[in-house]
Amino acid sequence: MLRWKYSRPLLGLLLVVLAIAPLFTNNPLGKPGLQQTMAVAFVWGALALTYDLLFGFTGLLSFGHALYFATGVYVSCILINHDVVSWWLAALIAIAVSAILAFLVGAASLRTTGITFAMVTLAFGEAGHVIVNRNFFNLTGGENGIALNAENVPQIWIGVFNTKYIYWLALAALIFTYAVIWWVTESSAGKVFSALRDNEQRVQVLGLNTQHFKLLAFVISAALAAMLGFVMLIAAGSAAPRFAESGVTIALLLMVVIGGAVTRWGAVLGGIFYSFASTRMQDLTQQESFKSIPEWIGGPIAEPALLLGLIFILIVMFSPGGLSGAYYRLRLKAITRKSS
Amino acid sequence: MDTFILIGITGIGLGALYFLVASGLSLIYGLMGVLNFAHGSFLTVGAFVGWWIAGKLGPDTSMIDFIIAMFVGGLAAGLFALLIEQLLITRLYDRHIDQALVTVGVSLVVGALLGGWFGNDLIMFPTPMWFLTAVNVGGAMIPADRIVYIATAIMLLIGNWILLKYTRIGLIIRAGVENRNMVNALGINVRRAFSTVFFLGGFAAGVGGVLVSVYSNGVSPLIAGSYLIYGFIVVVIGGMGSVPGSFLAAMMIGVIRQFANYYVTGLGDFVVVILLAGVLLIRPQGLLGKVRA
Repeated sequence: MLRWKYSRPLLGLLLVVLAIAPLFTNNPLGKPGLQQTMAVAFVWGALALTYDLLFGFTGLLSFGHALYFATGVYVSCILINHDVVSWWLAALIAIAVSAILAFLVGAASLRTTGITFAMVTLAFGEAGHVIVNRNFFNLTGGENGIALNAENVPQIWIGVFNTKYIYWLALAALIFTYAVIWWVTESSAGKVFSALRDNEQRVQVLGLNTQHFKLLAFVISAALAAMLGFVMLIAAGSAAPRFAESGVTIALLLMVVIGGAVTRWGAVLGGIFYSFASTRMQDLTQQESFKSIPEWIGGPIAEPALLLGLIFILIVMFSPGGLSGAYYRLRLKAITRKSS
Repeated sequence: MDTFILIGITGIGLGALYFLVASGLSLIYGLMGVLNFAHGSFLTVGAFVGWWIAGKLGPDTSMIDFIIAMFVGGLAAGLFALLIEQLLITRLYDRHIDQALVTVGVSLVVGALLGGWFGNDLIMFPTPMWFLTAVNVGGAMIPADRIVYIATAIMLLIGNWILLKYTRIGLIIRAGVENRNMVNALGINVRRAFSTVFFLGGFAAGVGGVLVSVYSNGVSPLIAGSYLIYGFIVVVIGGMGSVPGSFLAAMMIGVIRQFANYYVTGLGDFVVVILLAGVLLIRPQGLLGKVRA
């Protein structure tokens, strides 16, 4: 087995540490600043995992995943702000809306395959971005987005001193997403997903309706993305058009490729790393010592996209399995050396 | 009637810009199967080089200065595209998804570099005075810059047509789009056709970049965004690998979008997406595309 025998106990230990660290103030995670950064990073890690289900496990290169995430953010925010239903029902409705939307869009765009599918999903995703930017019926607030009405959500999520509750919400969402994706990909339907990626014709010959299985993967990942959209709404405190940009999907693609597709933990790690790196790098460039670097080098470095883009290119060129793929290759080498 | 002509010609002008982006995308995809996300950065590189040249040529940009800037911008973008192709794309031969991924990385890096050097705000692009005047077409006053877009796109279409129809490399490109393996089997090296297509696509995108920065009143690393997406849509509707198809689809989308936006603000983008969905359902290979074997 490629799995290290201590990996599961260690992961359990790590989760316990992450969960109880905010209770004490004598460690970095006891401060609201890092709690907030980590909460956002957890959401991105989980979102990358939902994208891995599409791209890594099922082989669907979608460029419109932001649409379902943004649906989760906006639908729950609108329902909560207008006091239509209570917050948890708003979240459930947002998930349902996103699933239905994914069903309709998926049914149309899955008629195409490969690169054309990528372009078509991109176009549908951009349509979503245009909708929230146009501010129809004054619902989405246009370019400024809408602030979450803090009175209509549980008060434990409001205020700087309560950031640890947002942190726990995000951690719980990540664990929940991981569990669902684990369950789906290990189920018999999940095996069909992987078979579709490897050889679609063969699945067809076996008498299975390939379209139905692709659509199933599409809808599951969209529903999970909408749930994470709700968590992001709580963490960010507002719904903004940047959640609907095609840049979100491209970021997810980077996270999955950097972390490594199909290993599940690779995508999560890639998402957390990406989100953490883009937040922290901007803080880093604000420091005094950074000012001494000449402008023509310092300017581009201040843009997180430069380093992440370069890492991404290097990984695609030289280590196609990403970080987790490289880890498994090293394990394989170690095991074969031991046994020979 | 005046408004009708004005909107129509503005739409065609917009379509001309889409065509400049889409023609390269279409040939690159048709010949090599590469979904080129870096095409937007070719456009931006062309725009910035053109802006730099136009600034060097003097405070009052004449028409000749502008044409030189446009040409050099296109050349720079073409050479940049060639560099990307040689450095990255050829090494990922036949790994189509990875090729698309690597171009995503290129677009991020180029965006970050230009954003770091010049900032993300619009910088004024010096244009000839003539661009600010209006030309009388059938009673409608058309802004002169629209005419330039359309003329450039038509010249590019004709140039493309001559190259593809009457030169040896053009013949190889056309044959390669139709059946690449067969061309290889006949002992012709398709690699050189790949490089040519990348250079030409980059050139067209660079020229487009200079024109786009005139249209959006300045250069910035962000100007390419929506044009790349519209470029993709044009390629899908027009048919992969068909330059005339791209031309037709670009004009169609430009005009339809302008008219829809005139009657209901913001409707244009929807109409285009619906058109895309419709074409995919009825004719998945696009208007002038051929069914792939």
